[in-house]
Amino acid sequence: MSWTEVQTLGVKAASGAGVPPAQALAFGAMLARHVADDGPQDAVKTALADPKRIVALAHRVETIVEAASVAAKPVAAVEEDAGTRAMLVSWLAGLPCKADLDVVGPKLRVRLALTEPSTRGRPERLYLTPELADQLNALAAKTYVPDSDASREGGAGAGLMELD
Amino acid sequence: MKDHAAPALPLRAPETVLRLARMGQMMPTRLSFLRVLVRQLCAERAKVRRIHWDMCDDGFGQAAYAIDLGGHTYSLVAISNDLPADQRSDRVIATAWDAAFVLFDGIATPDEIARIAAQAPKQEAGRFGPRDLVLSRANKSVRMWDATVAALKAGQQPDPQMIRDIGYLMRTTAVYGNGKFGIADRYLIADRPGLDGPFAAEMLAVYLIRHFTLDLVQHVGGVPLDPTLARHLGIGNATGLGMAPFLVNHPVLLHNWIQARETALARVLARRTMTEAQKDRLSTLSHRAQKHLADWHVPAEDHNAILRQLETDWAAFLPQIETATTFAALWDAAAGQTDTLQELLTALLIELCPEDVDDLAHEMADRHGPLSVPFADTDAVKSAIETHWGWALHCDYTNADNCRRFWYVSAAKLEPRLGDRFAEPGAELETPLDIARRVAQLHADLPDAAHPVSAFTETYPQHALAISRVALLNRYPYAEIRDNLIAATCRPIDMLRCKLSYFGATKFDPKSDLWTRITLAQGAPLGDELRPEMDDWWLPVMER
Repeated sequence: MSWTEVQTLGVKAASGAGVPPAQALAFGAMLARHVADDGPQDAVKTALADPKRIVALAHRVETIVEAASVAAKPVAAVEEDAGTRAMLVSWLAGLPCKADLDVVGPKLRVRLALTEPSTRGRPERLYLTPELADQLNALAAKTYVPDSDASREGGAGAGLMELD
Repeated sequence: MKDHAAPALPLRAPETVLRLARMGQMMPTRLSFLRVLVRQLCAERAKVRRIHWDMCDDGFGQAAYAIDLGGHTYSLVAISNDLPADQRSDRVIATAWDAAFVLFDGIATPDEIARIAAQAPKQEAGRFGPRDLVLSRANKSVRMWDATVAALKAGQQPDPQMIRDIGYLMRTTAVYGNGKFGIADRYLIADRPGLDGPFAAEMLAVYLIRHFTLDLVQHVGGVPLDPTLARHLGIGNATGLGMAPFLVNHPVLLHNWIQARETALARVLARRTMTEAQKDRLSTLSHRAQKHLADWHVPAEDHNAILRQLETDWAAFLPQIETATTFAALWDAAAGQTDTLQELLTALLIELCPEDVDDLAHEMADRHGPLSVPFADTDAVKSAIETHWGWALHCDYTNADNCRRFWYVSAAKLEPRLGDRFAEPGAELETPLDIARRVAQLHADLPDAAHPVSAFTETYPQHALAISRVALLNRYPYAEIRDNLIAATCRPIDMLRCKLSYFGATKFDPKSDLWTRITLAQGAPLGDELRPEMDDWWLPVMER
């Protein structure tokens, strides 16, 4: 899949799981980075099954960014759960700004340059496990509104259409 | 040496420029993406080469073209189908088209052409790879196509008036880029010369599709088209709601586009003098605009009335253009005119001074995403809202008409649609384009005393989106449309017009408030005419 496909699917899936919009957007960016960096995809599956974990993770990133905005020194964090830690790393690495990350065991040291763009490379293709892809697609489908006559005729913008 | 006082003049305020009513009147400029692309092709004296042609006498089969740009070679692979008339539809729910296209990275080999020929006609149901840069499809304008073929087969040329009225042989109904359906992500090509601007790959595909339509009709007709007529045949496009949310979902891009255009205008207005050459050019282009307007008629009565009023107003304004001594004086003279005339004048002024403008094309992409800085505390959020979002706060969202619309994604085609919150199901799945309402709700929930923003969002995680938009606007002042996008009065056609003007669209032909037809590349140099002196096709006119 392309990066855009994975990121977009991640946003929709998080939305379908009940995650608020800003956190869902950030989750999509995290997912693409996570898959690109060979992060454990099982951890994503677990998080999607409990969207409160995603909201909590987003909030954790927010506190790190907030701390980085008031002091130039690195921000320290500890995360004992390996899966959550991997997603936290992916989330920070997926930010648009420059992020230097140092991970030793459960400890993270994060240095963010909020107004400098990230220079991380991106691959040509990303590979989702079939299990995660199924889960993402099922959750994404919850965000779509079934068609009705009204939506087909009015909502899409095309009623009668002449062809010439 | 430039004699303008580089951007010393203040830019027009976002509150002026980013109102839907004005966005809905925007015109193409020399910063429009197709113009920028063709200008680069002209600078490089590029040539379109036909590298594959397997087409029956009736024009069904496969073709491929190659073109060099910025040190890379790209191919357009075109598949032309014999489409039964009852399957021809411009709607996104269509499943078959007259032609399908892929812009390919490199020279398309026979194997690649065969692969693309198997996938491209499926469009959204196909799968594509990282060397496929753009996916598109098009339907014939049967009226223009049949008349052109008939004329050529009779050894004649098509009716110029019909070309003025229709303007294209085929119209695209989708042009997909940036990773859709497996095609290459934009970042894979975003650093390449010529493709570094927004939608540059899509515009290259569109330009080559136009070339293909001209090639194909001459093949079927058996006689070459007069170049003057051929040049006035662009490529049509039918665009619906799918494009509208883009401007909301890509705030940094919107900022960059608007800022580039406003900076261009400010630079031109800062010129202290107008040279004789500029006066001549101003006169030529203003009269060309008048003729373009005279050629531009649309069936929709309300939109045609706006065009006719503009035609009248512009004619009345021409004497002021002829006698203007400075650009600023001319701009001041337009102060009491309609938004429509002012936007036409904006595009004209930008056209006149390429040396002030063309470098800005390199600042219109967004390579990084938003680089905004968090607020110090909730008081800072409140202050920013009260400073920049008054337009969002001064709206009663409990009034049904102020929140009647809801944007959603349809299950059938995964495309954006617009519903009536009080009459249709699905509002609980609303796409968050209700930015103004969200910011107003955030403002209402902010505490009286300052708290860390992260403490606030721990209690109110649903406000994180609004906070991020408020932070964005602090850094990117043109990032937000200053209107309530869920109001009953919201017309998505205004968002489409804005975006399409940045593509370089002309002859907007709205079919409702939700979709429009346009023409691209009308007047653009043909595939063997890409030379610097040919970059003169702003608001094209085919002389009578």
